[in-house]
Amino acid sequence: MFQDLLNTPLSTVVLITGFILVLIGLWGMLMHKNIIRIIVGFTLMDTGIHMVMVAIGYLTGGKAPIIEGANKNIVYVDPVPSALVLTSIVIGLGITAIMLSYAIQIHKAKKSLSIDDCAEMKW
Amino acid sequence: MVNSLTNPLNIIIITLLSSFLLPLIYQKSEQRAVNLFFAVLAAFVVISLSGYLQLLSGLPTIEVLTAGIEPPFSINLRFGIEEAFVTLAINVAALLGAWYLLPHLKTNAPLMLLFLIWIMGMNGMVMTRDLFNLFIFVEITAISTFVLIGFNRHNETLSAGFKYILAGSLASSFLLLGTMLLYFQTGTLNIDDLVAHQSLLTGPIGTAGLVLIMTAILIELKPYPANGWGLDVYQAAPTGVSALISVGVSASYLFALYKLLPLFDTLLPLIAIAGGLTFVMSNFMGLKQNQATRLLGYSSVGQVGLLVMALALLSQTNQADHYLLIAGGLFINHFLAKAGLFWLAGLAAEKDIKHWSHLKQHPVIFVLFVVLLAALAGLPPFPAFWAKWALVHTLVESQHYIWVGCILLGSLLEAVYLFRWYGYAKSKTNETAIVCQARQTFPIKLMVALLLLCGHAMAINFGLQPERVLLPVYAALAMLLLHKQPSYTKALVTLLITGIFTLQVLPTLTGLSWIFGMIFLVGSWVLTIGSLYKGTEQRPSYYPLLVMLILSLGSLLLATTTLEFFLAWEFMTVSSYLMVSLGKNAEKSSLQYLAFSLAGAFFILAGFALAYSETHSMQLSSFAQLAEHTVMIITLLLFGFLIKLGGLGVHVWLPGVYTDTDDDFTAIMSSIVSKAGLFGLFAVGIHITTQFNDIEALMFVLGWFGLVMALAGALMAVFQEDVKKLLAYSSVGQMGYIITGFALTSHMGWVASMYLAVNHVLYKGLIFLAIAGVLYRTNTRLMYKMGGLIKNMPISFVSVMIGIIAISGVPPLLGFGGKWMMYNALVEKGWYLQTAMAFFASAVAFLYLFRLIHTVFLGQQKTEHADIKEAPITLLIPQVFIMVIILAFSMFPHVLIEPLSTAISPYIASTITWTGHLLETKQGYWNGFMVMNVVAGIFLVPLFILWMLSKVTNIQPVKQFNIVFAAERPESPETTHYAYNFYAFYEKALGFLVKPNAIHFWDASAEWAHSFGAALRRFYTGNGQTYMAIILMYLGIIYLSMRAI
Repeated sequence: MFQDLLNTPLSTVVLITGFILVLIGLWGMLMHKNIIRIIVGFTLMDTGIHMVMVAIGYLTGGKAPIIEGANKNIVYVDPVPSALVLTSIVIGLGITAIMLSYAIQIHKAKKSLSIDDCAEMKW
Repeated sequence: MVNSLTNPLNIIIITLLSSFLLPLIYQKSEQRAVNLFFAVLAAFVVISLSGYLQLLSGLPTIEVLTAGIEPPFSINLRFGIEEAFVTLAINVAALLGAWYLLPHLKTNAPLMLLFLIWIMGMNGMVMTRDLFNLFIFVEITAISTFVLIGFNRHNETLSAGFKYILAGSLASSFLLLGTMLLYFQTGTLNIDDLVAHQSLLTGPIGTAGLVLIMTAILIELKPYPANGWGLDVYQAAPTGVSALISVGVSASYLFALYKLLPLFDTLLPLIAIAGGLTFVMSNFMGLKQNQATRLLGYSSVGQVGLLVMALALLSQTNQADHYLLIAGGLFINHFLAKAGLFWLAGLAAEKDIKHWSHLKQHPVIFVLFVVLLAALAGLPPFPAFWAKWALVHTLVESQHYIWVGCILLGSLLEAVYLFRWYGYAKSKTNETAIVCQARQTFPIKLMVALLLLCGHAMAINFGLQPERVLLPVYAALAMLLLHKQPSYTKALVTLLITGIFTLQVLPTLTGLSWIFGMIFLVGSWVLTIGSLYKGTEQRPSYYPLLVMLILSLGSLLLATTTLEFFLAWEFMTVSSYLMVSLGKNAEKSSLQYLAFSLAGAFFILAGFALAYSETHSMQLSSFAQLAEHTVMIITLLLFGFLIKLGGLGVHVWLPGVYTDTDDDFTAIMSSIVSKAGLFGLFAVGIHITTQFNDIEALMFVLGWFGLVMALAGALMAVFQEDVKKLLAYSSVGQMGYIITGFALTSHMGWVASMYLAVNHVLYKGLIFLAIAGVLYRTNTRLMYKMGGLIKNMPISFVSVMIGIIAISGVPPLLGFGGKWMMYNALVEKGWYLQTAMAFFASAVAFLYLFRLIHTVFLGQQKTEHADIKEAPITLLIPQVFIMVIILAFSMFPHVLIEPLSTAISPYIASTITWTGHLLETKQGYWNGFMVMNVVAGIFLVPLFILWMLSKVTNIQPVKQFNIVFAAERPESPETTHYAYNFYAFYEKALGFLVKPNAIHFWDASAEWAHSFGAALRRFYTGNGQTYMAIILMYLGIIYLSMRAI
């Protein structure tokens, strides 16, 4: 049993950790009132998604996708998810930066960082 | 190959280049940076426009490959006709929006830069064919949106912006995750490739990926109930930004949805439900909203929902030819109208729609406002009207009846809250004027012009001649140019235009259409003369609308297809509604009128669509081929026409409208416009004569309905104190007879019905004009405050007297002939009980007619009315003219009956014969000429004797103050006046019959709709975390329903 767990491929571990991170992040975004904590929740979720992306592209025993010659027997790791994840990390950074600058402005304007104080418009 | 300068990829390249240049140039010179900024936006427009024109001329779709490799191994962009159209729309809106936002944008180079990137992101979302690339453009657009929303750093804006970020980041996480899952299953990110490998996506991972992507895009399109954050953004963001979010961002997401639809084959019903739910619910909630920008938000959300629903339903029905027309029409209509309204809301700078009356002081903005509202409400000639027409027809054909119900209900609700807004703007509380320059209204004007242009193009697309069918609206717009002229000039121009139109149209008509032509065109021409009595008033919109109304009535006569008919009908509805709204305090009653009229129009639309689904022809004459759905179609059409006729139960709009409109227009409304419903009945009726057997039961019910209406109308009229209300209820009653006549579906019944209609036109026009004069002089509508006016207003008295004799149907005037034929026709049909009912109803009518003439013209005169003069000559001229016609028709009834009989006999064989002045039916005969002579003799002889008597004796008539008061003076003396509560004893006996049940019912319905709207929006707590939770639940529900399918 324990042996089985140890034999779990690394990609599966990353995949599962990624999903767990997504859930923790969501939990944080939904349950914490403090805007900074919400932002932390978002970054956790974002990171989780990135881990899922990387895990999807990984093949057990695959090599880095640097193709030398035309040897068809070598199994390469899919390079596309890795490329995509770079892009989405950058985007995640951008969003986080905007969220933080919103947090600063909200704090300046309302002297509060609680999400409950952003509920002046309703219905 | 693609012209290198106009390659759509240049949109992205130019943006990236200028994003480096712009801040640098801004350091040197602000003006140059602004110039560059506009140059880039103009280049966007040029690129998409030239691409659009090239594709329109038949060049193949432009495929932009990147990295020199064929897809799916590289990212490719596509620029087909649809992409070109949407990007063109986005770029034009962006250019105008930038113009509008310029004062804000030019303070800050990064803002200009972000604006460019924002627009590029939208363009990219439209063009890209790669799923991950789509995600990138989504994020580019989102990030710029977040910043642009918050640039003014108001409290509300920051809250809204942050909530938007939370919702947006959830949605984009879904999109990213979904994209990766699809990639995991198929190994490709190319959308076309994904569609080709759809079979790989049936497993749990593939399904989850599809659900995630679909939910992400739906969330961005703000579906109910997961859209509270979106409404906050619309409400709080700077209007220039809201405008582009509502149109540009939504457009790019809609297009993304459109291109992914082939992937979502199995999810189409869910998408349709999500869209339909959003459309109906947001319009319910809109009813409760008083915040201008939030109201626009509800409307935006609803319109986008409608588009989502249409996209999903149409791709199920496989009607590719209609697809683009409908989706494109709905899209461009929302696009132009919503952008224009957001900009206008920014100029008006007033949050509460109840305080929008300051708009009135700026006539140009006011007209723009009305046009934009009309466009948004889907009224003709704007694109949404055509699109909804086609959409309803397509959906009815594929038997999506419930969806049709949703569309019509949602549209009705939307029209109600939009035009309630107009009502507030129309109301007369005076406030500060709007401060704005022409430069700020320019984008709005351009939007209105584009809307009209698109409407014009749609008319061509539907195979109509716009210069003919859209004439009413063009004529009205042209008349608006005269707004600075005095009222006389405008009235004379109106008479000239409608006169020429009448001379053009009337000779082309035959049979029944000709008779209705006489009623609609000649009748309204004569009554228009009456309007000259208000010569001193400015009345800037009265005459343009009157022209529109009269021309639309004319177009109604010329219609040969259901589309032309419906178009003219809507024009007539809109113009008469706007005219009603011009009256003082007419906000409530005009809104009621609009709501009922539009509901009626939607019934008609549904009926026409159902007929089309059976016959596949829009010709009115194709009704003759109906077999399967005849009863349903006729029922739907009856609902529509009866609402216009003020049928019992739906008559509640009528008294308010007749009371609150300008007095001269009430005459036109009552005598002319109400006949449009009758024309509708006959226009359809003449084509279904062979199917009369099928609808016999329906007509039997209609016959009774008409008679109950006649009795109820008369009873309600009896108990009115307000003279216009009395006449309004009288109209309800008289219409009852006319409807029964139609329901008889026999030659004599129809002749009687038409005869009564012509009679009604004459006497109601006459009485309303006479009463208009009385109201003009006395300034009250309450009859007990009048009295004894016979000496001051003798001609008006004679008018009313002739009028009521004509109504009551006693010899010698022409009302008698109508009643006589009606009874004949009823007996001929074997409807004996109904005959008795008709007798009874007309007996009741005597009561109110007597009250009318007695309390207004006879009895004692009020002291304050001692010096009243006769009505203005311009009101008297048409009255005298109508009286002459009434007397002529009474003397020589065959002049009227013969054309009616011959007009109807092609459809139903005649049962009437003529010998000289003698009219013979199976039941008896009538000689109008003879009767007239006899009656004249009977009246003249005693009159002569009386005159002789008055010469020989010196009778002293009792004057008003010959009466001596004793004891105390009552607190409100008018209530002791004999004319007050004139028929109290009858009210005790019969009053229970006329309790305002219908009014209560409709008031309760309206109240219910509002409470329902209030309950629906309980989701919108304003809390960002609640909104996130709702989004997650939305995803869950979609996933579960997906599994259930």
